Amino acid sequence: MEIDPVTNGNADAIMTESAPTITPPTTTPVPSSRLSQLTESLKLEHQLLRVPFEHYKKTIRTNHRFFEKEVSSVVSGVGDLADSDWSRDDTVARLSSLVSRLQGLKRKLEEGSNVENLQAQRCRARIDHLESADVENLTEWNNTKLKRILDLVDIDIFREAKKVIDALKNREVASALTWCADNKTRLKKSKSKFEFQLRLQEFIELVRAESYNQAILYGRKHVAPWGATHMKELQHVVATLAFKSTTECTKYKGLFELRQWDVLVHQFKQEFCKLYGMTMEPLLNIYLQAGLSALKTPYGFEEGCTKEDPLSQESFRKLALPLPYSKQHHSKLVCYISKELMDTENPPQVLPNGYVYSTKALKEMAEKNEGKVTCPRTGLVCNYTDLVKAYIS
Amino acid sequence: MELKSIKDAFDRVANKQKLSYSKTNEIVQMLSQEIEKALSIIQNSPSSPDTLLDHRSVLADVKKMFVEVAPVNQLEVAEKELNAALTKYPKVLEKQLNPDISKAYRHNVDFDTHIVNQIIANFFYRQGMFDIGDCFIAETGESECSTKRSFMEMYRILEAMKNRDLKPALKWAVSNSDKLKQARSDLELRLHSLHFLEIAQGQNSQEAINYARKNIAIFADSSLPEIQKLVCSLLWNNNLQKSPYSEFLSPALWNNAVKELTRQYCNLLGESSESPLSITVTAGTQTLPVLLKYMNVMANKKLDWQNIEQLPVAVELSEEFQFHSVFVCPVSKEQSSDDNPPMMMSCGHVLCKQTINKMSKNGSKSSFKCPYCPTDVDISRCRQLHF
Ligand SMILES: [Zn+2]
Repeated sequence: MEIDPVTNGNADAIMTESAPTITPPTTTPVPSSRLSQLTESLKLEHQLLRVPFEHYKKTIRTNHRFFEKEVSSVVSGVGDLADSDWSRDDTVARLSSLVSRLQGLKRKLEEGSNVENLQAQRCRARIDHLESADVENLTEWNNTKLKRILDLVDIDIFREAKKVIDALKNREVASALTWCADNKTRLKKSKSKFEFQLRLQEFIELVRAESYNQAILYGRKHVAPWGATHMKELQHVVATLAFKSTTECTKYKGLFELRQWDVLVHQFKQEFCKLYGMTMEPLLNIYLQAGLSALKTPYGFEEGCTKEDPLSQESFRKLALPLPYSKQHHSKLVCYISKELMDTENPPQVLPNGYVYSTKALKEMAEKNEGKVTCPRTGLVCNYTDLVKAYIS
Repeated sequence: MELKSIKDAFDRVANKQKLSYSKTNEIVQMLSQEIEKALSIIQNSPSSPDTLLDHRSVLADVKKMFVEVAPVNQLEVAEKELNAALTKYPKVLEKQLNPDISKAYRHNVDFDTHIVNQIIANFFYRQGMFDIGDCFIAETGESECSTKRSFMEMYRILEAMKNRDLKPALKWAVSNSDKLKQARSDLELRLHSLHFLEIAQGQNSQEAINYARKNIAIFADSSLPEIQKLVCSLLWNNNLQKSPYSEFLSPALWNNAVKELTRQYCNLLGESSESPLSITVTAGTQTLPVLLKYMNVMANKKLDWQNIEQLPVAVELSEEFQFHSVFVCPVSKEQSSDDNPPMMMSCGHVLCKQTINKMSKNGSKSSFKCPYCPTDVDISRCRQLHF
């Protein structure tokens, strides 16, 4: 990759030495081949593969836990039966119920495996989709990608999140707590304190309602266990018992603010995205930001900017306004007439008035006009033979 | 990036999942078989006073067997292997792909959702996805897009062209004839030519000639060679395939006309020929890898990413995203500007004005040596260029 060299030896030398030695012309960069560009762009697709996988993994884990528990309880059921003095009829009845329980288990196993297989297929389809991208169909692939970004392919997962978010907005923690319980091991592994924060909020709500006894009971049961790791925060919040919800004490006023619920929503979003390997920001915004910066030039904001530039549109200009401009290391000249790139194949030619156009466009014009060319921007007419080539390194 | 290693890692997961499933299945089968067997022995043994002992011994056998087989342990072993694969796969993904593309995101920039929604709705309309666009507008509560009607008209024209009906396209092109000429587009002639060829294909030479006289001859000034070819093809119109003019049968002729019509139609609307949203997102796809690499390299250095005015790294977008001429002085590496315009020296090499000033010691020297060739450059002969 190219990183802007902070100092450029050659250039510095030329700028300071009075008689510069001839420096070799800087080689124009080989435009990163389309193939490596494609490979690089595929690397952006982590989320596309990760999200359905996390879904799949969750299903596998849940199923497995369930079957392990069931098998274990059937085995110990037989053991208990063998160690007890039940009559023959009772034994028969109990064994029969175990048999039908196993029957149900077989059915559930079948169902569970079907779900797992479907999710595995989805993961695999995504990998195949990445594999299907090649240089030939890149335009088409990019179009699909855009639709994918707009469509939110993993919408079912977002539904799960929305339920919790809506509940939190209604100041209910129950569904968020259920979500925490469902993902207990993983949250623990990432040292998440989201559940602790939910508990604290519930505690604060009890204090707000002036149910102090209840608050203390609740605190003992749900808040105290976090003391080992989060003592300082715990003390801070539990001390609310000494304050009224209308307190003016700045340290405690904040805790009673309803805005705290929005903080919880934000935290949930963060935890949720982390769990599924998703970015917090909408993918579209991430791509738009990067693209707008790379396209942002001072020319885009000028009047008469070509309509082909997205920055010629008011809406795109507004979005791009706070973003950095693009940076170019090498000259890239576009012919004003033909909009084609001017390079060694189609070199730039200079009119006597200093205006530059591509050889191809000027030649075409001269052929139609008995060797004369007209400058489209100034109206100057001159002979094709009056043109001189410019060398851009 | 190795898609293969991703695939392999996933295959391992899927494989272990299948194994774990068959293990569980096997164990459930075994449990139910053994219990059913014990049940039938107990049920079929004659009922007598010592059956209490009898059925207990049967149960003891089953219990003993379960202890020996240890089904729960077996499940745990299978799970352990599956778990290893499940943990490995995300690691492979993280290694092969970019796990967090938001690292190159400026969090202090909030996009106006209203503008983004307008852009999205506009995208749906210009792709001809009118139902989705309407749906989107209804859901987000945005106001109707002003461009919708125009795009509907464009898709009506394109749809007709797909069915080889050129009338709506021609009608539009003729009524915008002057504007098309101004935009240097030969769309009108192209459409007339296609129509001419359609008539000729129908073996109706006379009608084709009439059509050419009426509609095509007027383009003789600008496109005589094309017109000559077109008319000559009449001589072979019973077997164009084997003629020097077989190109006139190519479907590319139609595809290109469709493309040109889309481009011109959009341009007259004041829109780009490609959707600006897809241009920007594709440019973003090319830019993000470069930015992310840069962020990784610079991870330990302090970089005020949130407040920079210019990207810290150059991004080479593909040619189609090059909308403006950019001149970078090969010596100072600075982009030219109104204050620092590009200047051509007598040898034809181009530098920017500030560099030339420095090399001539602000004009105190009347000549200097070109850094790229042996020419002695006369300062008075340097002239400003306009790209
Ligand atoms: Zn030179």
